[in-house]
Amino acid sequence: MRYINPRLRGAVLKRLEALGHGIFYLILRIAGQPGAYALLVPVVLIYVISGRRIHQLTSPYLQRRFPKHNLVERWRDTFRIVHSFGQILVDRAWLGLNISARLHCSLDGWNTILGLIEQRKGLVLLTAHVGNWQVALAHLKDLPVPVHALMHYKEEVVAKHYFDLRGESCPFRIIKTDGFLGGVVEATAAIQRGEVVTIMGDRLAGGPNATVKFLDSQVRFPAGVYRLAAATGAPIAVLLAAKTGRQSYHLRVWDVFHPSYHNRKHREEDLTAWTSRFSKALEAYVTQFPYQWYNFYDFWNQ
Amino acid sequence: MDQLKQQLKEMIVQDLNLPDVKPEDMDDKAPLFEEGLGLDSLDAVELVVLMQKRFGVQIADMDEGKEAFASIDALARFVKAQQGNTSKSIGTSVSAT
Repeated sequence: MRYINPRLRGAVLKRLEALGHGIFYLILRIAGQPGAYALLVPVVLIYVISGRRIHQLTSPYLQRRFPKHNLVERWRDTFRIVHSFGQILVDRAWLGLNISARLHCSLDGWNTILGLIEQRKGLVLLTAHVGNWQVALAHLKDLPVPVHALMHYKEEVVAKHYFDLRGESCPFRIIKTDGFLGGVVEATAAIQRGEVVTIMGDRLAGGPNATVKFLDSQVRFPAGVYRLAAATGAPIAVLLAAKTGRQSYHLRVWDVFHPSYHNRKHREEDLTAWTSRFSKALEAYVTQFPYQWYNFYDFWNQ
Repeated sequence: MDQLKQQLKEMIVQDLNLPDVKPEDMDDKAPLFEEGLGLDSLDAVELVVLMQKRFGVQIADMDEGKEAFASIDALARFVKAQQGNTSKSIGTSVSAT
């Protein structure tokens, strides 16, 4: 087998990736969102047929979500999940290129959120890396109180990039989780002022966690935020977005709960019970929208 | 100041439920988190809430948190300073009326 210098290979792949992005942007300008969607089909098909890595990245989820699927069905599932993710990326670029472009949103439970805010106990909004989650975050600008997002560096870059593309100001203030005590001091103070704190409840990036069942396997989820709600008396709402059509999406409150604190002795079991509640909401989401799960890594080993 | 420190120690031991720690054994200069008393970020949430409830002081951001949670000494200084600020502002508003 012919030896290829890894640095040269990396440089070529980088150029090809940039070329790919360039072609998509060109098609978006010429043929709009439908044109880019049409291009997406053969691109994803070639990617899924020729690449082994994407199957490795999606299989931990697909094996658990569709345990009875055979090899052919698994390939189809991989195509669908990558295609769905591609559409989200196309939408993001399309919204960035066209300031007047809009996605139509149907809301389910928004009044519940407003009602919880009115109680002045603060609110913890849990989201996850599913559906078009950045679009969901954009809706936070409509809330009547300041919103704070607990984010680590990578999430912050992605979220800011989305709003920069749109030329919109970020609808929330970012509390960095890599700061002192994971940003809990600022988050607690915000809740005490009756404000909203939002966090992606699925990906673990250090800090307190709890192991619960998700799609019939044990997985670690971040858990510090439940303690924040319990100590301050703030309710928790699980808010997840799903793409429902070419230019539409659905934003729904999947669950609302009020964690209450017992004492340090019961801390672990309390955290597990509350995390389980989020896991169940997420399970209900992927049951309805199985191809909008975008954690492309071994989630059960996080 | 010593009385305030004692109150803070008792609050930490009782409300954070630390059965293996006695208030009198706590070092005034030892860090509260990690290598010192061994509190973690979950305890920090509780502590921020307790400081508001018991002493009426709010720890609003990371810088204040870092300063206040450095030790029992630092926490007592922080409470004193915050309470001083509050009574000053109350005094100002009373004299203005």
